[in-house]
Amino acid sequence: MAAGHDNEMGTKGSTLEHYLKSPTLLILVFVVLGILVARIMGMSTLDTIMTVMYFMGIALSLNIIMGFAGYVSFGHAVFLGLGGYAYVLMVYFIKPLADLQNTGYGLGAFLVAVLAGLFAAAVAASVGAAVLRLRGAFFAIATIGLDFTALYLFKAVVPELNPEQFFGAQIILPADRIVEKDLVFNAMFLTLVILLAVNYYIRKSPFGVGLTAIKEDEDAAEVLGVPTTMYKIVAFTLAGFFTGMVGALFSLNGGGVDETLFNLGHSIDMIVMIVIGGLGTVLGPVIGSLIYFELYDLLLVHYPGVNLIILGVIVAIVVLFFPEGLIGLLRKYRVRGVRLRDVLE
Amino acid sequence: MEEILVVDGVTKRFGGLVANNKVSFSMRRGEILGLIGPNGAGKTTLFNVITGVYRPDEGRVIFKGEDITGKPPHVITRKGIAKTHQIVKPFNDMTVLENAMVGALFGKRAHQITIGQAKEIARRSLELVGLADKADEFAVKLTLRQKKMLELARALSAEPELLLLDEVLAGLNPKEIEEALEIIKKVKVERDLSIIMIEHVMHAVMNIADRIVVLHFGWKIAEGTPEEVANNPEVITAYLGDPRYALRFVKRKGGGE
Amino acid sequence: MDLSILAINLVNGLLWGIILGFAAVGLTLLWGVMKVVNLAQGEVILLGSYVAIILFTQYGLSPLVGGLAALLVGLVAGFLIYWALLHKLVGKVERITLKIEMSTLLAMFALSIALLNFYYYAFGSEPRGFGLWSIGVPYVRVLDTTIRTNILLADALALISVAIVYLFLDRTILGKSIRAVMQDAQAASLVGINPVKIKLLTTVIGIGLTVFSGFMVLLFEASVTPEIAHKYAPLSFVVVVLGGLGSVVGSLVAGIIIGLIYGFSKVVVSLFNPRISDPVALSTAFIVLILILLFRPEGIFGRKR
Ligand SMILES: Nc1ncnc2c1ncn2[C@@H]1O[C@H](COP(=O)(O)OP(=O)(O)OP(=O)(O)O)[C@@H](O)[C@H]1O
Ligand SMILES: [Mg+2]
Repeated sequence: MAAGHDNEMGTKGSTLEHYLKSPTLLILVFVVLGILVARIMGMSTLDTIMTVMYFMGIALSLNIIMGFAGYVSFGHAVFLGLGGYAYVLMVYFIKPLADLQNTGYGLGAFLVAVLAGLFAAAVAASVGAAVLRLRGAFFAIATIGLDFTALYLFKAVVPELNPEQFFGAQIILPADRIVEKDLVFNAMFLTLVILLAVNYYIRKSPFGVGLTAIKEDEDAAEVLGVPTTMYKIVAFTLAGFFTGMVGALFSLNGGGVDETLFNLGHSIDMIVMIVIGGLGTVLGPVIGSLIYFELYDLLLVHYPGVNLIILGVIVAIVVLFFPEGLIGLLRKYRVRGVRLRDVLE
Repeated sequence: MEEILVVDGVTKRFGGLVANNKVSFSMRRGEILGLIGPNGAGKTTLFNVITGVYRPDEGRVIFKGEDITGKPPHVITRKGIAKTHQIVKPFNDMTVLENAMVGALFGKRAHQITIGQAKEIARRSLELVGLADKADEFAVKLTLRQKKMLELARALSAEPELLLLDEVLAGLNPKEIEEALEIIKKVKVERDLSIIMIEHVMHAVMNIADRIVVLHFGWKIAEGTPEEVANNPEVITAYLGDPRYALRFVKRKGGGE
Repeated sequence: MDLSILAINLVNGLLWGIILGFAAVGLTLLWGVMKVVNLAQGEVILLGSYVAIILFTQYGLSPLVGGLAALLVGLVAGFLIYWALLHKLVGKVERITLKIEMSTLLAMFALSIALLNFYYYAFGSEPRGFGLWSIGVPYVRVLDTTIRTNILLADALALISVAIVYLFLDRTILGKSIRAVMQDAQAASLVGINPVKIKLLTTVIGIGLTVFSGFMVLLFEASVTPEIAHKYAPLSFVVVVLGGLGSVVGSLVAGIIIGLIYGFSKVVVSLFNPRISDPVALSTAFIVLILILLFRPEGIFGRKR
């Protein structure tokens, strides 16, 4: 919630100053710069950085509908899959797009990913109008149903598109259709920056206030004038769009796509990151994805085999004892009279 | 004077139950209209029809000359009608100030004001209802009385022309009732409001309302000045059937207020 | 269309649907009584499969003993799940709000992560089963086809179990209190039903039945992999939603309907393209789910909520 500083956004002139003083924004800028520095100085392998960005990307995407509006979409991997397949199929079959994706230092790939994201967004918008009438577990289950519908349909249809070349629903892009990983990084980086900006903007805007009201009590929000149906659809569509884009670039980075992109496991990743970090904030998914990435690695190195079992236990502990996640924990405290809640969000 | 609201033959059914039965009345701008009736008479339902939460099975609702029947609640709110909930519905994990800001951001001037302006509007509403010192508390921490006042503050933040109050006095002690009535009178003048209030606290509504509409089993059984209504035999019978209010009513008639 | 092919597919669909319906009975109870959506449904089912498999392969016990053990392990698991996960979230609350519902969803979801990966760790991703074991002759002839005896055994067990559960809920005092809580938790606590006790009991029975159904699933599938959790869990949701929350008979009927729809659409799609009949038939089940959710969320047999 945009609270705390009195002169926030309201009075002109102080706006820039305010933003500079906002620790949230500073942290976000810091994270973005961190990624750039790590990349340029070669502090981590490109693959590692891509993975971190991928995690952060899907967490921030789902955050728009789950974090702000409180609609837990357990089938959100569907948009990852839709974006991934849309991208790969486009550049596989459409030569001009395949050429475009290699232009402009990654800007081309970014643009094709936008197209793929739009495809995911179109699906989100059309089914969103229907499934967003459902609440709570029913919505969660409906999105799972959506995910499996798409999974099985792609499994059925994709092999038919080019039976000689495709292995089942798996498509491997030929050498002339892939993009150098440096460029994919650029495209992903740009996507992530936009995603951060969108999250931040939502957090600070009337739109975000409306979504939070929906999360708290949808009926009361509607009576208070929040156009709940429209807001939910917009949030869901945005979430679908960005998840689709990330799925597209993730697939491009991997040089192809298969049906595992629809796996509930990806939904699990997204939800866990948001829950660990803290629902309904911008920093939550960012911190959550960094922790998740580290945790994932750490557990994998130290407890191979049982690493994901431990992860499940950790998630249970978070849900039971720290339901608001890390940022939620911090927000309760004050430092020198300043409520952390006001500055962290 | 101009009619701000016309309710015209509104019928609302829930399955076999007719919660509002051909209810008609109109109110002038600047009026305070009391809406009374025994439990289950259909008062809250009528509010929900006016604010668009329910679509009536028959009849129309006309606000400032415009037919708003069946429009979604958020549209109606933006046209200038705000409502408090009988069963309070605070946004628990938001602060009191933020609660009121929602009212401002999506009320009469939705999409025309900034977060900063909304905050100012919200602050003023909180001051009006006496919650200013709680602005930074989480709504979940408020007492029931404070939550009722928060309902009022949220509604006021929407800057409505017509305010619908659903039992804002219920559960308050006599002193608090007096204070709340003062607040309502004050905002009415200050904001040039028209108000419909559902109330079971009989002396309060008799005292403050210009006119009163009485519902019983979904029907409108009486309408008029407080005096007229209080002496209407049908109304008395209706209330005598409801032991909760019979006593108070009789007491009042005996002039013991 | 060759009618005998249709008949065979419908019979197979029916036999599978009964298993599916029974597998969802525990889910429907938990959901209906406690508003707990067991997102670990698939993994909990597999618990029963793997218990029977271990006893069979490691200790040489008859799968029938394994089935019984699955039920017992299931009851204990229900007890543990209630006290470890659910009690803190729903034990003492009277009205389960949307937020609490989401918390239980996430808690069960954490369980599913842990369990699923435990299976991968302990059993790997290869198919495991009872090998060639069967009760009596391995196959019986029906129409123009053969059906594995184990499938018939699984179906018989499933039907008997559903009948017992139904009678329990309908005839016994405990069962009636469970139904009372399902209808109105607050009213039930007013007439002196201890809600914590009922919630514990419901979890024990619900999880117990689900684990037990894993034994039937194993008999039906002949072998299981951890991945099968992701097939049975979503299908169980379809069944529960179709059958109406909390309805045991609804669950069975809905399972059969889904089984028949699956069998039927498989045949129809095969006419055009046999290679894609299976995935298309499965996706039909989920399209049914979404349609039911949208147009009749109380399920086909459920009362209006
Ligand atoms: N959503 C609903 N579904 C079914 N019946 C309803 C619904 N809302 C109200 N009712 C019924 O309609 C009738 C009128 O209810 P309403 O809440 O309007 O009464 P009321 O006059 O506000 O009563 P009270 O003084 O107790 O607040 C009651 O019998 C109530 O049970
Ligand atoms: Mg009422």
